[in-house]
Amino acid sequence: MDDDVNGTHGMDDMDGEAPLDGEDLDLDLLEEELRRAAAVLDPVPAELRRMAVEAFALHDLEARLAELTFDSVVDAIPVRGAVDAPRMLTFHAGGVTVDVELTAHGLMGQVLPPQQARIEVLTGPHPGEPLATDDMGRFTHDRPPAGPFALRLRTGEGVLVTDWLTV
Amino acid sequence: MDRAHVGALVQTAVDGDAAAWKALVEGLSPLVWSVVRAHRLSDADAHEVYQTVWFRFAQHLGRIREPDKAGSWLASTARHECLKVLKSLRRLTPTDDPQVLDRISEDRTPEQSFLDLEEAAAESERIRRLWQEFEELGERCRQLLRVLMATPPPSYQEVSVALGIAVGSIGPLRQRCLRRLRARLEARGAV
Repeated sequence: MDDDVNGTHGMDDMDGEAPLDGEDLDLDLLEEELRRAAAVLDPVPAELRRMAVEAFALHDLEARLAELTFDSVVDAIPVRGAVDAPRMLTFHAGGVTVDVELTAHGLMGQVLPPQQARIEVLTGPHPGEPLATDDMGRFTHDRPPAGPFALRLRTGEGVLVTDWLTV
Repeated sequence: MDRAHVGALVQTAVDGDAAAWKALVEGLSPLVWSVVRAHRLSDADAHEVYQTVWFRFAQHLGRIREPDKAGSWLASTARHECLKVLKSLRRLTPTDDPQVLDRISEDRTPEQSFLDLEEAAAESERIRRLWQEFEELGERCRQLLRVLMATPPPSYQEVSVALGIAVGSIGPLRQRCLRRLRARLEARGAV
């Protein structure tokens, strides 16, 4: 992938010392000008900055992190024509696995080994919508999450939070 | 942002200091935003990825192995999340590229003199042209420059993980891209 970057040996000087100092300075100035332009024309939106500041509420050393170990977007071979295929996610934390399936209609999943848990569907730093599993650890939610998404689970063994991802 | 400073802020934030967290957001937001913008997502997707990255960072804060390199962690996370969103089948909508050209600064104060206004208008026009030429560069140059123009300037390590380019290639590639941009501006008589 880097070929077109590294593989060219042309007139372009490919080491930093070839051009005149004057040109270096010129290019530095141009980059500086781009920086100013970006600050004016494409700055970080204020509401996003605010949201990032509020995200500190998600900093929780008590909770165990359930890492994303499978995501069908990355790990599965896409099925041609299957436009509405569900997105399958698997999270792992210690001995606990959480399987989640996202569709256009909502989400369903299961905690394994089967156990009861209280679950929150998180979309941001604020408390999410509560769900409860059945005895087999299964849960459903009839609203499809959109945007940033994570689950917080309270099991007999404590609190578990899944990795955040964008859906 | 200075690395040692970033490392110290991460440590302080881990201990629960919201001000340190805020300083991290202030200092590293433009980098995250630049990486997201470099990947040409739709506005909605860009906003979501930006948030996901910060939510993840808050969640991983106490587990980050090299706090000094939090900038690289953020840049790399942003890249992966962008690539995932681009890959996701449900997101085949064309990018509603932001109408950034219409977003030129609005904070003119009435007391500014006519001369100031004239100068500001000329400056706006220059920035507008520069941005237009930048947007029309080849995809690789556009990506690289979009990340490089974050404030404060990112380290090459951060750029490397943000775009999947070897650190050693960044300098030469940067020069080439800036030269191309300058040549375009010159061709337009806009220098």
